[in-house]
Amino acid sequence: MSTLHTEEMTLNMGPQHPSTHGVLRFVVRADGEVMREAIPDVGYLHRSIEKIAEKVGYHGFMPYTDRVDYVCAMFTNQGWGMACEKLANIEVPHRGEYCRVIAAEFNRIASHLLSVGAMAMDIGAVTPFTHAIREREMINDLIEELCGARLTFNYMRIGGVAWDLPPGWREKALAYLDHFDPILEEYNALISWNKIYIERLANVGVITPAEAINYNLVGPNLRACGIKWDIRKDIPYSVYPEFEFDVPIGDGHWGKLGDSMDRYVVRIREMAESSKILRQALQKIPGGPVLAKVARNFKPPKGECQIRLESGRGDMGWYVVSDGTGYPWRVHVRTGSFAAMGIIQKLSAGLMIADLVTLIASLDVIAPEIDR
Amino acid sequence: MDTLVQNLIASGAFGKNASPSMVAALVVFIMSAVVFLGVAFPFAGIVSWAERRVWARIQSRVGPNRVGPQGFLQWLADGVKHVCKEDIIPDESDAPLFKMAPYLVMLAFTLPWAVMPFSSSLILADLNVGILYMTSVTALTVVAVLMAGWASNDKWSLIGGIRSAAQIVSYEIPAGLSIFPVVLMTGTLSMQGIIRAQGWAPQHWFLFANPFTFVAANILYISALAEGNRTPFDLPEAESELVAGFATEYSGMRYLFFFMAEWGNLFIIGAIIATLFLGGWQFPHVTKNVIAMNILQAITFNVKVLFLVFVSMWIRATLPRVRIDQLMTLCWKYFVPISFVNMIGTAVWVAIWPDGNSLMGYIMLAAAIALAAVFTQRVIYYLRRSRMEVYFNPTI
Amino acid sequence: MSAVSEYVGNIKDAVTSIFEGMAVTASHFMRKPYTVQYPDRMPVRVQDTLPFRYRGILEVDLEICTGCLACERACPIDCIVIVVDKDPQTRQMLLSQFDIDIAKCMYCGLCSEPCPTGSIHHTTEFEGADYSLESLIRRFVKDPVMAYKPKKGPETDTRIAPILNRGMTYLDQWAQPGGEKPAEEEEPA
Repeated sequence: MSTLHTEEMTLNMGPQHPSTHGVLRFVVRADGEVMREAIPDVGYLHRSIEKIAEKVGYHGFMPYTDRVDYVCAMFTNQGWGMACEKLANIEVPHRGEYCRVIAAEFNRIASHLLSVGAMAMDIGAVTPFTHAIREREMINDLIEELCGARLTFNYMRIGGVAWDLPPGWREKALAYLDHFDPILEEYNALISWNKIYIERLANVGVITPAEAINYNLVGPNLRACGIKWDIRKDIPYSVYPEFEFDVPIGDGHWGKLGDSMDRYVVRIREMAESSKILRQALQKIPGGPVLAKVARNFKPPKGECQIRLESGRGDMGWYVVSDGTGYPWRVHVRTGSFAAMGIIQKLSAGLMIADLVTLIASLDVIAPEIDR
Repeated sequence: MDTLVQNLIASGAFGKNASPSMVAALVVFIMSAVVFLGVAFPFAGIVSWAERRVWARIQSRVGPNRVGPQGFLQWLADGVKHVCKEDIIPDESDAPLFKMAPYLVMLAFTLPWAVMPFSSSLILADLNVGILYMTSVTALTVVAVLMAGWASNDKWSLIGGIRSAAQIVSYEIPAGLSIFPVVLMTGTLSMQGIIRAQGWAPQHWFLFANPFTFVAANILYISALAEGNRTPFDLPEAESELVAGFATEYSGMRYLFFFMAEWGNLFIIGAIIATLFLGGWQFPHVTKNVIAMNILQAITFNVKVLFLVFVSMWIRATLPRVRIDQLMTLCWKYFVPISFVNMIGTAVWVAIWPDGNSLMGYIMLAAAIALAAVFTQRVIYYLRRSRMEVYFNPTI
Repeated sequence: MSAVSEYVGNIKDAVTSIFEGMAVTASHFMRKPYTVQYPDRMPVRVQDTLPFRYRGILEVDLEICTGCLACERACPIDCIVIVVDKDPQTRQMLLSQFDIDIAKCMYCGLCSEPCPTGSIHHTTEFEGADYSLESLIRRFVKDPVMAYKPKKGPETDTRIAPILNRGMTYLDQWAQPGGEKPAEEEEPA
């Protein structure tokens, strides 16, 4: 007696699919609604940024770093700045570090807002996305006043930042933070604690702590699995030791530890923590210069260095090899999204097609950061 | 109808040998044309505009406001645009089925208007199985959507079509079961009969007749939204998952048909709820003039329906989408059992108080008003917390 | 028994959370929209509302250009082409070409940073759409002009002084390495 034969369906999701956050592609093998496997296909947004660095010199590469991750470009700016400073032993003025932290934390809020908004959009709620974008827009307005650009900031320089805070900016930023905290609560009431939303996210794409470490997840994705690892706390850089803030971790309150809801809630809580850091930084900012003296013809000594920082998508690494000339010999960027893409194939087995969208959104993968 | 036909023949407009049945058919054709072209289609268009405006305000946007006053004619512009677009039929598709599906959707959308009780006299056909007819013809959509999904020969379309079939067939059951309490109380299936059994005052509506009917009304509304493919149940066309679901391969006029039916269905959903639970066109007898009375009744009915249409837009702007297994869980584990409880509860209620309990009407109404007051208080709380003055954009 | 309480709890959670969400959206229904109707229904031009530091389309004030080529060297994508010759008679610097390819420019601001006079600067103009790539190349030199020579004292030429003044204000926005310029804000306690 022969069993009933059913065929698997191979679906091509992307690169022009509405919810793949840019140009990602998945080859989905599905049995009806249930996926057997989703194989990520990366490389649609490769722009050889690392190679460009070898051609444009140290100062000239700064605007290109914006394009590594255009959703939180401040961190890539800062990463490149920190790498070059470590290479040439330059000390950034104290006020310069504060400016960096302020800009970066604002950018972290903007990045997480986009992430949680897009996540709600992927799950079918249209309103939270525009609300998140509206708040992000105000941060963009602030940053625009600070550095003249809204997305590709090019705000930082090797040895500090290019612009000091403009007059009156501090008060504006503090006023925004007063507005932001209630908005976050309203956003939670609108979508985060919605029963349908929780049902969609809880117990979906569960990552165990061991898996998270093995697959090299970083940032909010790692913290959602209950591992307290934040570069800002554990390998302190810049002036982060001067601030008091918590590192939110997932607690499995809504389902299993390390599910999509945990990743989502960690991001929401991180925004509140960033707001806390910003308040302290804006209150405590010291006087003085913001930019160290760096030669226009910047030639770091021969050598190599590796720095790590906590970007919006987690532990970002910059590795630079200098051969003593005005151009780096090799630059490598280690980004969180690329590692996160790797675990999708494993997690996707047994999920539904609708869950794949949730999973991509909850891992917060940003297409330019995957390919660079 | 008969007198009208007699008068028309007597007036000699059709010659002496006109057969009454032919004249009657002509009258029905003209009346249905007026209803569809004058009410149903423009309504679908206007709802599309209204929905975009409502969404826009909820999302801090402006919405379409360029074509006509406040963008009111946007739906005409969109319609003209879609008619002028190329009608693409994929090579690999099953062309006859592919072409037919949109017409079938339109059929499912137009048929219910025959029993739409606008007022005490304004109804095309007061069938004695009116409400049953309504629910059964709207279910024709499932055939059309499945047809569209299959004929497109596209995997996304197919998944969309199959999701739709599963969804509509499942939700027919709680929807049907939620109609029974009202039928039990009135003993009729006729739309007009059900409305006549209610009063104009809210405490005489079936919504507040007893706790079971209140729950039944909510279940029926949610199930109807699910049958109409509305958020939170818009899985068949889930844009972030299935691109555009069963409508992925459609373009131009055929695509428009699907969405016109979707928006037009909102009126039908609202009409079913308004008829069964909100007293339909019931209006106090303020005048003896039949025409004036009919107009007042039609306005009452439309206001009730439009309020329900607005609520569905509001829900769509608030809620995320459920997953297919959760959709089924909701239907089979929650709505179906609760509907059965409603049905039995109402039967017991009717057995105890065959003429209804008037005190219960007042209690339920008071409870509903208290709920609305709590809601208003929450809205005011959120309004007070917003600090709109922080907006840095000087152009606002 | 726990199954029943979970069942009822699920219904209760769904109803209350949806109730709360609907209250939020209803409150937003009564608020003003945040978006603007760019470009035609604006009370003011967007360009006028942008901050001074906004990095829009580049512009060059040839009157104060010293022909030092700092911007050309700083540009990471070589979208600036400058040709400077020495005039054989007057032995002065003569600018015969100053082109910026706006199609290539990525508005990073690295060129206006090293400019000694603020001649090359970003404007708040951002509407640069055009019909061909060729027309996106901004050619600032029509006829060869003398490069500007910075004077020891303040600028006396009434034609150039306001332009130079604007240029220096622009340069003031940039942070000076090593803190030659004190921070603009008074320090908090």
